[in-house]
Amino acid sequence: MKKIIIKSALYIILILISLEFIVRVFHLNKDNPSRFVDEYKVEKWIPNQEGYSVTGNRRQNFSKFYINSFGYNSYREFTPSKDKIELALVGDSFIEGFHQNYYNSIGKKIEDKLVDTEVYEYGYAGYDLADQLHLIYAYKETFDLIDHVVLGLKFKNDLNRGEYHVVQDRMHLESPLYKKARRIKLLVYAQNIGVLAPLWKLAGRLASIGKKKKPYVHQKKETKQDLEIKHATYIKNFQNLIDIYGFDKERFMLLIDKGITPQVFLNYLDDNNFKYIDFSQSFNESKKPTTLIYDRHWNNHGRNLVAGVIYNYIKDEKTKTD
Amino acid sequence: MVFNSLEFFIFLITIFIFYWFFFKKYVKSQNILLLISSYVFYGWWDWRFLSLIMLSTIVDYFVGIMIDSNETTFKRKQWLWVSVLFNVGLLGFFKYYNFFVDSWVDMFSAIGYNMNSVWTLKIILPVGISFYTFQTMSYSFDIYYRRLKPTRDFLSFATFVSFFPQLVAGPIERASNLLPQINKKRIFNYDQSVGGLKLILWGLFKKVVIADALAPIVDDIFSNYTSYPASSLILGVTLFSFQVYGDFSGYSDIAIGTAKLFGIELMSNFKFPVFSRNVAEYWQRWHVSLSTWFRHYIYIPLGGSRVSKLKSVRNIIIIFLVSGFWHGANWTFIFWGAFHALVFIPVFLMGRNTIYKNSVVGENSYFPSLIEVGQMLFTFSIVTFSRIFFRSESITDAFGFIKRILSDFSYKSYCHPMGYRMIDYYILIIVFVLYEYRIRKDERSPFKFKSKIVRFIIYTIVILGMLLFYDSNIDRSFIYFQF
Repeated sequence: MKKIIIKSALYIILILISLEFIVRVFHLNKDNPSRFVDEYKVEKWIPNQEGYSVTGNRRQNFSKFYINSFGYNSYREFTPSKDKIELALVGDSFIEGFHQNYYNSIGKKIEDKLVDTEVYEYGYAGYDLADQLHLIYAYKETFDLIDHVVLGLKFKNDLNRGEYHVVQDRMHLESPLYKKARRIKLLVYAQNIGVLAPLWKLAGRLASIGKKKKPYVHQKKETKQDLEIKHATYIKNFQNLIDIYGFDKERFMLLIDKGITPQVFLNYLDDNNFKYIDFSQSFNESKKPTTLIYDRHWNNHGRNLVAGVIYNYIKDEKTKTD
Repeated sequence: MVFNSLEFFIFLITIFIFYWFFFKKYVKSQNILLLISSYVFYGWWDWRFLSLIMLSTIVDYFVGIMIDSNETTFKRKQWLWVSVLFNVGLLGFFKYYNFFVDSWVDMFSAIGYNMNSVWTLKIILPVGISFYTFQTMSYSFDIYYRRLKPTRDFLSFATFVSFFPQLVAGPIERASNLLPQINKKRIFNYDQSVGGLKLILWGLFKKVVIADALAPIVDDIFSNYTSYPASSLILGVTLFSFQVYGDFSGYSDIAIGTAKLFGIELMSNFKFPVFSRNVAEYWQRWHVSLSTWFRHYIYIPLGGSRVSKLKSVRNIIIIFLVSGFWHGANWTFIFWGAFHALVFIPVFLMGRNTIYKNSVVGENSYFPSLIEVGQMLFTFSIVTFSRIFFRSESITDAFGFIKRILSDFSYKSYCHPMGYRMIDYYILIIVFVLYEYRIRKDERSPFKFKSKIVRFIIYTIVILGMLLFYDSNIDRSFIYFQF
């Protein structure tokens, strides 16, 4: 009896070690760069890291990332000056682009088209408008040198708050325990593919034993009135953020998908002379899929379309100015 | 509680430790633990259905005693009928009641008399009811045929009926095999337990890697068969053959392996049916516990093959129709059974139904002969074709599926519904078939290699395979639970 327990334990350990080795050799796990909050309270990646972002059990999407010295995934360093023309893309994971090789990003695609312009990508997964405007505010001197700033905005997700503060949930991922756990590649892999989900669920259930259960609140369907209130709140948040961190209507423009943006917000933008770039039309007209198979981020074709839309807009702006 | 869940893993380890550390001294204590565990295991789905198992246990326990205590055939038969009517009645109510009502209504509609189906009930099919009712009936049959003496130990009998590893999806055990083991004190056997763990690992591989990985493809093709070309439909039904095999044989392996951990040997249920050389051999290798059940308790009592050819053919038709109907209350299963009868009868009439009974393909050589390859491919094609009926939602869909293959034959490469590389699945199936061929001589030893290093490498590959094909989003229940 003891023999079977000892031998099973030994086999389990040896198999786990072998699997760790295999996961490392075939790079089945994704690399997680470390993040930090800088002296301006801006959350970003620790500079000069590189690695691979992996999606799926069998490495279905595999791409290289490189964090530059400013702390963002980009093919270039950010060196704005008055002598050059620069364009900044600020946004969430779609702009950050861990799902693509860093040298094939939206920024790079735009730069290839706009020969005389440098494109800087300030993308970070989870950034909402508060993060974005706070970043620009915190690095005002840098951003003042940049000629065009494009801010990615999803109305539904990015206007939940009217003031910036560091998102502690994300920063918890930098705790010593998480950092140590991330060194075990098999664990990272298992977590990413969902093998550990039942374990966490069970742990959660065990932890809640004895605790008073919250009464179940039935999620009621959102009424038209609820939606109107929500939209008004989001617009209010937008105004607040602009009041606090500023918004240069000349240089700044929003990158939006009109298809998922409510008309009331579009009217607000038009009425208040906010510039925006809409990419919905090119996506709707596309005959090829625009998102990846394994997650909802833009694929190479989707990125080409977005880059094309931004390029056309900037080109038109230039023509107007000239 | 399903075998491929964390709950079951924790449950199994706990019971195993209790069983061999604290309850090992007396057979009674071992059985008490097994019985309680089995009820917890079953009650995990729906505790209300425990009452059905308990009722079935009580009825068959007393029926067994009554059959044995009567000497006259008439009285014995009467008591046997009590068991049969009770169990078939239970099954009939929970599984077939709505089917009969609907078929009745449809029949009247066909002759122009429209009836509203007001008699159908909202009944949940209790998990495993088809399995445990057949198991308890086998007990009554064996006593009736004087193959077995009834047990007077109610605890042992209740443990036999509800033994959790095989309770919900078989193997459908015979009392003559399982009861004596339950009546005897089990002593820990290292080799037996290791054998059990190996079977559990192999069963999990078949379920997680083969069945679960193929499920989304099969579901997609069968749900949207009208929009796919014939090549995709053929692919879908072929993959379904592997899915259902991986699912059910995987379950059986885990069940047999789990029972081994408790010192109990269950009968084999699958003996590599993919390598069958004719349909008769296929039925000696597929769901063995059910096919032998039908042979012992229906086919042989009807005269089996010892009667005239005509009557034997009638008997074959009966057992295949009943087998089809056992699988589900749907005309698709009856057609599936009828189709198998149709392809079995020529083999029977040619006297080739038992020629492969005690042999395996490539018995004395490493590779099968070309003739054997041809036979296996032919048999696999026939069985796979029959699965169109088995898998389709309705008989209209089944014929629609077949019609589309026959009338609109065209080829177009198939894309996975989630966009995954299809080549991964093709390689997986080829490797799986080759490996199964390598181990084909012993279904109870999936890792029979002399070298410890080779064995270790294979364990690692098997677990790696489970990680590579694990899908957290799919329904992980077993196909045969619905039966």
